Amino acid sequence: MRILIIEDEKPLREDIIYYLSENGHKCDFASSVKSGLEKLSENKYSCALVDIGLPDGSGIEIIEYIKDKNPEMGVIIITAANSLEDKLTGLKIGADDYLTKPFHLSELSARIYSVLRRRNFGGKNTLIFDGLEIDTSEKKVLANGIQLQFTKKEYDILIYLASNPTHLITKEALAENIWGDKAEMATTFDFVYSQIKNLKKKLNEAGLTNFIKVVYGLGYKFKN
Amino acid sequence: MKLLTKTNIYTSVTTIILFSLGVFFVFKVILLKFDSEQDEHLLSAKEIIIKSLKEGKSVEQFSSNIGEKIQIVEIYKQTTTVNSFKEYYQEIIGEEKAGESIILRELSFQCSINDKAYAITVSVSVSKKQEIGEYVVGIVILFLFISIIVLFIVYRFISAYIFSPFYDTLSKIKSWNIKKSESLTFKETEIKEFRLLNDTIQDLTQQIKSDYRNLKEFTENVSHEAQTPLSIISTKIELLMQEKNYSVKQHDSIQQIFQATQRLYKLNQVLILMSRIENKQFISTEKIDLITCFEEKLEELEDFIEAKQITIIKEFNSNVPKDLNPILSNILFNNLFINAIKYNLESGGTLKIILDNDSFSIENTSDRVEINKRFLYERFTKSSTSASLGVGLSLIKKIIDYFNWQIAYSHKDGVHKFKIYL
Repeated sequence: MRILIIEDEKPLREDIIYYLSENGHKCDFASSVKSGLEKLSENKYSCALVDIGLPDGSGIEIIEYIKDKNPEMGVIIITAANSLEDKLTGLKIGADDYLTKPFHLSELSARIYSVLRRRNFGGKNTLIFDGLEIDTSEKKVLANGIQLQFTKKEYDILIYLASNPTHLITKEALAENIWGDKAEMATTFDFVYSQIKNLKKKLNEAGLTNFIKVVYGLGYKFKN
Repeated sequence: MKLLTKTNIYTSVTTIILFSLGVFFVFKVILLKFDSEQDEHLLSAKEIIIKSLKEGKSVEQFSSNIGEKIQIVEIYKQTTTVNSFKEYYQEIIGEEKAGESIILRELSFQCSINDKAYAITVSVSVSKKQEIGEYVVGIVILFLFISIIVLFIVYRFISAYIFSPFYDTLSKIKSWNIKKSESLTFKETEIKEFRLLNDTIQDLTQQIKSDYRNLKEFTENVSHEAQTPLSIISTKIELLMQEKNYSVKQHDSIQQIFQATQRLYKLNQVLILMSRIENKQFISTEKIDLITCFEEKLEELEDFIEAKQITIIKEFNSNVPKDLNPILSNILFNNLFINAIKYNLESGGTLKIILDNDSFSIENTSDRVEINKRFLYERFTKSSTSASLGVGLSLIKKIIDYFNWQIAYSHKDGVHKFKIYL
């Protein structure tokens, strides 16, 4: 998918581009409202990441432009934690999602996948891996054609991992995605570990071995 | 003791002393004057007696018109020319006033007339002297009392007037809030001391305010500005983690840097949240049903409640919806419940929620000691066994204050209880 990243902080922008490129996205970037609008008029994108605080104006302007010219395009807002109002305005005028800085790259990737799925880009709602098929509209998981039963949390974790193929995902990022503001509790209880263990067990039983790799001390990796 | 009462006491004591001295001197002066007049009277009587004796009149003739009593004794020879005065009491002899005495002033002298020597005493009653003295003292004491009473009354009325700027200042300082933007303005006053006081307080509060604002802005700026570098660090580490082929040492370092960054960024989030609460950026409210709220929280925390095998006891005796900001109320209940679970017994504890019309309380069993009440809601005070940031309770307090609620903590028989008065 082609993604436009409008972010003025160069190191952050570069990391996002690098990470998303590894996930198979084609990324363009802009560092101001002006160049962002230029890029949008020149090319067609599936999704845009828009930082609200830009040097020459507000990202809100860009979102308004997108919703006017290309309402099909997905928009994810990136904001600083203390600009709640911008976030709300952004969602009101049609942004799909928002992320508060700092965020996990894996979370960003998962959100992009989710937006793209919702907006039905690529015409299918199914993630297919070697023998594993995830139908996100039906929330069904098929292993070699046989449906597997997962709890909601196990399913969420699987989707999160599948949204970040090829990358290591920290248990903190996973905990935050699944337990939200109770993530701290989840990490103290090692809940991520026990959920992953169940998930792995179910996949193993269905003959899908080594789909989830544990990277000691850091997190997990989804094998593709 | 009121300033005025104190002043009144001092004034009264001084007045009493001054008046007493005054009375004493006035009394003395009046007596001296009285005596000297009597003495003149006696001396003029002496002249008349001598003159009369020279003219050969008999003693009985003067007694009625000159003095009280005249006694003339013929003596052999005049021995002195000195007039001697004397005062003494004499009992009244007679039926009516028996037992009482009168004071007599007496002049004794000797003289020689026509080759005869006489010793003469003339005496007058000076009982009036006593009376006059008593009157003077009485009147002065009466005035003293009247003036003290008047003084008290006048002071009372004046003080209400004079001290009104002072009390105005006092009530304004009392209700002054560093967080409110308006500056103090005091009632105009002619009294120099009060004006000085007002000016000083005004300067002082201005100074405090500007210091407070600077400090607040500094904290806000730091936490705001820290977001971008934190984002960069955070994503850089995440990318570094993607690399393979690390040595064990490098691997551990990366893991520790990552976790430290996570902590830092959670801390930063809380700081930003707190300053936003302080800046009143959560104005919008919704009708929030506390029972639904509690039930939702319990459901969200189900995993952890199960993991610790905590028994939940619910006593919901009321269901009045409250107008609250949804974001803040969510953070508040989250923190309260998470604390009650996190610090609960490792296994088999209880968590009790009681909701009444005007309060709710959350009680949890715990093997932790009582929290020191002095530092209960202060930022960054944490028990040595806790790995958390130690801002949780401070955040709870901040939101409770924001809602204009009250929070009370108690600890009894291993049960920690937070009661919130709505």
